[in-house]
Amino acid sequence: MSVSEGLDIGMFVVACVVLLAGYPVAFTLSGTAVAFALLGWALHVFDPTFLSALPQRIFGIMTNPVLISVPLFVFMGVMLERSKVAELLLETMGRLFGRIPGGLGISVTLVGALLAASTGIVGATVVTMGLLSLPTMLRWGYDPKLASGSIAAAGTLGQIIPPSLVLVVLGDVLANAYQIAQTSQGNFAPETVSVSDLFAGALIPGLVLAGLYIVWQVIVAIVNPKASPPAPAGLGKVTLREVAGALIPPVALVLCVLGSILFGIATPTEAASVGAAGTLLLGAQRRAPHLARWFVATWISLALLLAMASSIDMRLGRSDTTAVEHVAIVVAALLSLGLASGLLLAIRVNFREDVLTPVVRTTTEITTMVFTIVVGATFFSLVFRGLGGEAMVARHLEALPGGSAQAIIVVMVAMFLLGFFVDYLEIAYIVVPIAAPVLLKMPMPDGSAMSPVWLGVLMSVNLQTSFMHPPFGAALFFLRGVAPPEVKTSHIYLGAIPFVVIQILMLWVLWEWPSLATWLPRLLYASQ
Amino acid sequence: MLKFAAAIEGLNDRIGRFTSWGILVLVVLQFAVVIQRYVFGVGFVWLQETITYVYASVFMLAAGFTLLRDGHVRVDIWYREASEKARALVDLLGALVFLWPVTGLLLFVAWPYVSRSFAILEGSRESGGLPLLYLLKGEILIFAAALALQGLARAIRAVAVLGNGETEEGAR
Repeated sequence: MSVSEGLDIGMFVVACVVLLAGYPVAFTLSGTAVAFALLGWALHVFDPTFLSALPQRIFGIMTNPVLISVPLFVFMGVMLERSKVAELLLETMGRLFGRIPGGLGISVTLVGALLAASTGIVGATVVTMGLLSLPTMLRWGYDPKLASGSIAAAGTLGQIIPPSLVLVVLGDVLANAYQIAQTSQGNFAPETVSVSDLFAGALIPGLVLAGLYIVWQVIVAIVNPKASPPAPAGLGKVTLREVAGALIPPVALVLCVLGSILFGIATPTEAASVGAAGTLLLGAQRRAPHLARWFVATWISLALLLAMASSIDMRLGRSDTTAVEHVAIVVAALLSLGLASGLLLAIRVNFREDVLTPVVRTTTEITTMVFTIVVGATFFSLVFRGLGGEAMVARHLEALPGGSAQAIIVVMVAMFLLGFFVDYLEIAYIVVPIAAPVLLKMPMPDGSAMSPVWLGVLMSVNLQTSFMHPPFGAALFFLRGVAPPEVKTSHIYLGAIPFVVIQILMLWVLWEWPSLATWLPRLLYASQ
Repeated sequence: MLKFAAAIEGLNDRIGRFTSWGILVLVVLQFAVVIQRYVFGVGFVWLQETITYVYASVFMLAAGFTLLRDGHVRVDIWYREASEKARALVDLLGALVFLWPVTGLLLFVAWPYVSRSFAILEGSRESGGLPLLYLLKGEILIFAAALALQGLARAIRAVAVLGNGETEEGAR
């Protein structure tokens, strides 16, 4: 092992150890990288001109068109949470399913999957459900292990069911890696993989996973009925109207956002902005029922606009516009004005009700946190590369006797273990750029050409697991923060284990049946 | 010294409160672009670039604010249970060993990069784009400076905690 390889490995080990001190991850990673860069420079194995690439890298992050969707998705999730849309959904579903054994746990999973699809923030979902559902579950006599495990696991569904931040970030990183892999193989007109591809690929595995959680809860309810009893008598009946009122608006919004991405109508960023504007309207509707008809009018103008846009050619600046089209354009302009004023009204209501200010602040903090970590990870991987670590990893991965199957397993295990120390962002921006170009050049375990979508979905299920494995999983931490004192930390840890096992089962299922991930993207984007 | 720390915190707080409204601007502008593109088939390069500028400015300018609000994620298995003094020590050493070397290096390597851009008042490469690319690049320096200053404020508070021996209101 040469000096630079020793430094590379040392940098990883030192970073993992010093992270435990608790200084912010972004600066710990970049600080460790700077220290090892200096050390490498002193030992003549690191060329300091590598570091002059930093400003260009940071500028690249600032102007990355894929990542613009991050603040928009975060805004959507935070807004749904703060405006109590999520709370109402959870409460109604609990009353709907509460009558059957295990029903409350199942409704937590369902709400997790639904909300998941709107946010990608583990913390927000786990905290909301931990505050609302956990006390109810305990009061009804749920086993605290099962209750806390269900909530932690449901909260992480947001990382795998699209649209999710993990998939956006992985999509960004994998797109680069895929390009590098193909170019290095002499293909200078490389195929691409996009965030939309990953969304399509992750949808079925995400739903299967949610299904597996529910199956587990049903099994527990049958085998050990005491662990998840039905609601005590006297639970208020829930009317169809209530269910529709709580369920339809957020679900319709999420389906629109997801649908427009999957069918290739809109880019993730565009769809996310529609989702964000939609949550502004939903939040305002919840807060100011007396203005409901204005918001209904806003929704109708939006729907009319979209209907007109898909049936009449209203593009401006053409010479051959017909009279009908002229009229349509004027009508559409008026509708847009109506839409704009409805949106302004919604912004005003949310501001007055003190919802908007905390939402933009929280969104700013989360967005800044995400990007500072990306910047920190950029420092780290730049120095890692400068010390020759990338070539070393590639050499070792290619030399594995078990071929691509073993290489993938090694990378997956490494990601799983790193999940004990850092979260998905660091793993995505440090491990994936190093390992993915190598893996993408290898064949699939079944011998066909490697599918970047399959690899991405495999990685995101793996990363999702890192949120809930004891003792470091982020979801467990958030839950600990809001759980009542009678729930012991050991309950939370033990409760998470069955769900971690389900995750590993899911990884095996994906391994055996890769088409779970590759079928839908192939169907939707037939050209690939 | 504590007054100096409070002044830095006040500055970052004000910057953060102001830039956080950029998120709303981002939502509204991006939504407007979607309507323009899908309904009227028009698009403006400058509007698209404004969105990029707003989005980048939010997180570049609010980095110090996020540090102030302790919004940068920590591996806090030990930190959250630690005594106040131990946490102050982590914050002080962290600033010395990690934060300042990083921001220092960033200022050092970004300075020529930014000044080259300022020297030619670099604009957009697209026709019809904004002529303000140099300002956007300049934000890299603000990012580093705001973080370094906020790290200083935290370090001052940490020293106060370590020196006093009595409980001091944290830097949140």
